Amino acid sequence: MGSYVARRILALVPVALGVATLTFAVIHLTPGDPVIAMLGENAAPTDIEGLRHALGLAQPLLRQYLTFLTRLARGDLGRSIVSGAPVAKLVLERLPATLELAAAALCVAILIAFSLGFLASLRPGSGLDLGAMGLAVLGISVPHLCLGPLLMIAFSLRLGWLPLSGRGGLQHLVLPAVTLGVGMAAIVARILRQSLLEAQAQDYMRTALSKGLSRHVALVRHAARNAATPVITVLGLETGALLTGSIVIEQIFSWPGLGRLMLQAIGSRDYPLVEGCVLAFSFSYVLVNLVTDLLYAAMDPRVRLG
Amino acid sequence: MLLSALSGAGASGCGRDRESEPPANQLRVEIETSPATLDPRYATDVISSRIGELIYDSLVKADSRGGFVGDLAQSIERPSSTLWLFHLAPGYRFSDGTPLTARDVKYTYDSVMSAASASLKRGSLANLVRVDAFDDLTVGFTTRGPFAAALELATLGIVPAGTPARGPRGISPLGSGPFRVALFKRDEAVVLKRNPWRPYQPLAPRAIVFKVVPDAIVRVLELIKGLSDFAENNVPAQMLGYLQERHALRVERHGGVGYQYLIFNFRDPRLRDLRVRRAIAMALDRQAIIKSLLARTARPATGMLAPENWAYEPDVATYPYDPTAAARLLDEAGFRADKADDSGARFTLVYKTTGDPERRSLAQVFQAMLAKVGIRLDVRTNEWATFYSDIQHGDFDVASLAWVGINDPHHYYTVFDSKMVPPYGSNRGYYSNPKMDELLERAEVEMNSDARRRLYREIQKLAASDLPYVSLWWQDNVTVMNRRVRGFIPYPNGSWRSFASIRLESADELGR
Amino acid sequence: MKRRWRNPSLVAGATIVCALAAAAAFGPLAAPKDPLAINLDLVFAPIGWAHPLGCDELGRDVLARLLWGARISLSISAAVVAVSVVVGSIIGGTAALLGGALDELTMRLIDVLLAFPGILFALALAAILGPGLLDLAIALCAIGWTGYARLVRGEILSLRERDYVVAARALGSRTGRLLWRHLLPALAGPLIVRTTFGVAAIIVAEAALSFLGLGARLPTPTWGNMLDEGRAFLLTAPNLTAAPVVAIGLSVLGFNLLGDGLNRALDWRG
Repeated sequence: MGSYVARRILALVPVALGVATLTFAVIHLTPGDPVIAMLGENAAPTDIEGLRHALGLAQPLLRQYLTFLTRLARGDLGRSIVSGAPVAKLVLERLPATLELAAAALCVAILIAFSLGFLASLRPGSGLDLGAMGLAVLGISVPHLCLGPLLMIAFSLRLGWLPLSGRGGLQHLVLPAVTLGVGMAAIVARILRQSLLEAQAQDYMRTALSKGLSRHVALVRHAARNAATPVITVLGLETGALLTGSIVIEQIFSWPGLGRLMLQAIGSRDYPLVEGCVLAFSFSYVLVNLVTDLLYAAMDPRVRLG
Repeated sequence: MLLSALSGAGASGCGRDRESEPPANQLRVEIETSPATLDPRYATDVISSRIGELIYDSLVKADSRGGFVGDLAQSIERPSSTLWLFHLAPGYRFSDGTPLTARDVKYTYDSVMSAASASLKRGSLANLVRVDAFDDLTVGFTTRGPFAAALELATLGIVPAGTPARGPRGISPLGSGPFRVALFKRDEAVVLKRNPWRPYQPLAPRAIVFKVVPDAIVRVLELIKGLSDFAENNVPAQMLGYLQERHALRVERHGGVGYQYLIFNFRDPRLRDLRVRRAIAMALDRQAIIKSLLARTARPATGMLAPENWAYEPDVATYPYDPTAAARLLDEAGFRADKADDSGARFTLVYKTTGDPERRSLAQVFQAMLAKVGIRLDVRTNEWATFYSDIQHGDFDVASLAWVGINDPHHYYTVFDSKMVPPYGSNRGYYSNPKMDELLERAEVEMNSDARRRLYREIQKLAASDLPYVSLWWQDNVTVMNRRVRGFIPYPNGSWRSFASIRLESADELGR
Repeated sequence: MKRRWRNPSLVAGATIVCALAAAAAFGPLAAPKDPLAINLDLVFAPIGWAHPLGCDELGRDVLARLLWGARISLSISAAVVAVSVVVGSIIGGTAALLGGALDELTMRLIDVLLAFPGILFALALAAILGPGLLDLAIALCAIGWTGYARLVRGEILSLRERDYVVAARALGSRTGRLLWRHLLPALAGPLIVRTTFGVAAIIVAEAALSFLGLGARLPTPTWGNMLDEGRAFLLTAPNLTAAPVVAIGLSVLGFNLLGDGLNRALDWRG
C-alpha cells in the first residue's frame, strides 16, 4: 500500500506536466492578446512591442514553453501580466475560499444522499422511495444557474433566514453549498439506493437475516461494504465535478474564490495566472482521485491496486 | 466577515435583515465587475474610472457638455499655441496630509509617458511632449503642435510623486479627492472613507462600499432586499418595470452620452456600397427596440455626439424605419430579390458580438429585422477577449459596439481618420474618406472654438450621410436607488462625483 | 409477455420517453406558432389561450420554442452520452482488465483530462471551429468519456476479486460469460443513473458553451439557452425558466425509469 501511495504521488509530476502543457498550448493558441488589452487601441506599435518583449511574449512559443517549464521546476509560478503580483500569492489567497465551498457542498451532498439513499432502499417501490426518486430528479434537473437564484429568492428574500451573497460567516456558506451540492446528492443517492438493493439480494444478506439480524443492522454491517465501490467511484467523480461547478456558483454568489480568479485570468489572457489557477485546480482533482482509489482498497481489501 | 463588520452590526449577516436599519453613514453601491487596479495611471475600465473620480483629482474635469472645467487648476492660460499653463488652487492635500503640488502632477504624467510604463493611457497622451512643474502651483503642458483637444489630456488623476509603478502600493495610491481607499479586496469590495483633508458635508456618507456582484439577477435581489442602495446601468432593462413598483426603490433615467452603433468592415466590397449601408440603417426599427428591449432607456441617436455636447449638430441625415425603401436600395445595389437563395437571403453578413444575454437578444432582433429585407445575419458569439481580438483584426462584417464617455469631439479623429486603423487607432472598420480626413485633420489643430464647431458640424453631417457607423441610440444612465439616497446629481457621462454630497435619510425621516 | 417486462418503471419510462421522442420528432410541425418569430409587442406575454406557456423577452412563443428545442437538446445529449459511455467503458474496461502500466497510463491521462478546465478547452474550440452543434458534441464527448471510464474500471477492479468470480474462473468460465453474468449487472445500476442524470448536465452545458461561441447557432432554440436567457426574469416571468426545467426533469425521469425498468426486465442474474 505504501509503495502504491508513493507511486501515485510521484505520478503527480507527469500529470502536472501534462496539464500545464495542455493549458499552455490551448491558452496561447486562443485568439486574444493581453498586451493589446492592457495598452488599448491607441498604443503606438513600439509600445506594444516593448511590452511584449518585457513580458517575454515576443519569443517563439517553444522558447516560452521551455522558460515556463524551467521556472515551474523551480517552483516559480511567475507574475501576473495584468497586476504584476506573484501568481502563487494570488492563487493561495483565493484557494481557501474555493476549498471551503467545495468541502461544505460535499458535506451537504453526503448528508442528503446518504439519508435519501438509505431510506429509499429500505422499502423499494414505496411512497418513500418514489418521493426520494422525485427529489433526486428535481435536484439534477434544476441547473446551478437557476437553483441559486431560486434558493436566494425563497430563503433570503422572502423568508429572510439567510444572507443573499458574498462570503462571511457560516450562514453565508449555506445557500452556495446547498446549490452546489444538490446535483451531486441526487446522483449519489440514486446510486447508493441501487447498490444497496443489489447487495440486499445477495446470499450473505439472507444468511445474516436468517441469523436473526434486523434488516437495518444487516444492511449497514454487510450490504454497505459491498455496495461501496460504485458509490465511492461516483463520490470521487462528482467531487471533481464540484470543483468545476464551484466556478459558476462563485459567479452567482459573489464568492471570492479561485474559480472567479481563473475566469478573469482567462478573460484577460493573463497566461501565468491561468496556469497557476489551472495547476491549483488540477492538484485538487488528482488528490480527489487518489483518495477515491485509496478508499477502494480500504473498503474492500480484496481489491488489488494494480 | 470583513464586509459584515463594515456594514454595521446585523445589517447583512442575520436573519433580521428586513427589519434592521441600513447603516446610517454608509452608501452601498453594487458594481458588476471588480476594478483590477484603482491607480488612475493604469485603470482601464469604466468602473475604475468612476470610483477613481472620488479618490483622485485631475487638473480639469469633464463638465456635462463635453467641455472641461478646472478641478485642481483654478485658472488656465495658453501663452502660445503649444504651451498650456495650469495654475493650481492652493490647499489640496493627499489623504495623508501631504500637500499636492505641481511636482506630483509632473511625476504622474511622466510615469505614464515613460516607455516602461505599460499604461493604457500612454497612447492617449501621444500629443503631449512634456509636462513641467514651473513652481509649486504652476504646471505646463507642451503639446506636439497646436492641439485643440489638449484639455482632454489634463483629465488624468494625480498621484503623489514617488508612487511606484506597480505592486501592492500601486494598486490604490493616495489621492486628493473627497474619499480615500480604506479597503480594496479584489473581487469582493472597494471601501472608501472620507479624506480628512477635504471639506466635509455633515450629512454626506462617511463611507462608500462598492460591492462586486457579478450576476444580474442577484443585483436585482440585493436592491429589493435593501442590501444595496445604488446601482447604475447594471440592471437588465426589462426588469426596471418590476423595480419601479417596489416602493422602497426609485428608478431614474437620465439622458446619457453612451453611444451604441453598428460598425461596418469597409474591406468588404458589399459594405463599401453606400446603398447597402443605407438599406441596413433603414431596415432597423430602433424605436421598437428601445421601447420593448430597452424599456425606453435610450434615445435614438443621430451621431456619435449626444445633444448635451457643445459641438452637437442636430441637422444631419437620418434614417427612419422603412423596410420597403431598404429592399429597393438593395435591388438598386445589384442584390436583387429575385436572385436571392432558397431562404430568401440576398447575401449573408457575419455579425459578431459577445455572449451575454442582452447582447444575444439584440443580435437576434437585428437578425429578424434584416431577414425581412433579405439580408441574412450569421451571428457569432464569443467571449469578450476573443471578440475584441476579432474586431481588432478586422475579422467581422458587422458588429455592434459602444463608445462610452466621449467628451471632446476629437474622438472623431481616432475613429474615422484613415490613418487611425488598428493598431494606431480605433478605425476598426478601415473607413477611408479623403474629405473626412481633411476635415478631421483641420479640426485637430483649429484653436478657435467657433471655427472648430463649424468643422465638427461638417464632420457630423458627413458621418451621417456616409454611414461609416449606423447610429443606434444614446444609452440613458439608469439608476436604481434606495429611497433613502437623496441629492444624487446625474451627469450625462455617468459620473459618480455627486456621491460626495448626497444625503442618506434615516428610517424615521422616511416615515417607515 | 413475461411479467418482468411489465414492471411499472419500464412502462412509465417507456411512455415518457416515447412522448418526448414524439415531441422532438413531430412537435415542430405541430406547433402552431413560429418559435423564431420575434414580436416586440408580445414581450413577456402571460400564459393564456393564445400562448399556453407565455412569450419570452423577445415575444416568441415559449411552447413552440420548447417543442423545437426538444429536438436539439434531446438528440445532442443522447448522442453525447451514448458515445461517452461506449468509449469510456471500452477504455476503462481495457485498462482494468489488462492492468499494469497500461492501467497507470490511462488513469493518469484521465487525471489530466479531468483536471484541465473545460472552459479553456471550449474557448479554444469555439475560436478555432466556430459555432456548431457538431463541435459542441465533440467537445463534450472529449471530456465526458473519462467519468464512465473510471466507473467501469472501478467496478471491474472490485469484481475481479470477488469469490464467485474467482471461483467461476477456476471452474473454467470464459471471460465473456463472466462479463455478461457478473460485470454488466453490477455496472448497469450505476451506469443507468449516471447516464440518465447526465442528460441534464449536457443540456445545461450546451447553454454555457453557447455563451462562449460553441453550440447551437442563434436563433435556434434549445432548452439550455432558454434557461440562460430566461433566468434574469425569474421574478417577473418564471414561466420562462420553469418550462425548460420541467422539460429537462421529465427527460431525466423518463430515461431513468426506462433504464431501471430495462434493467429489471433483463434480469441478468437469471
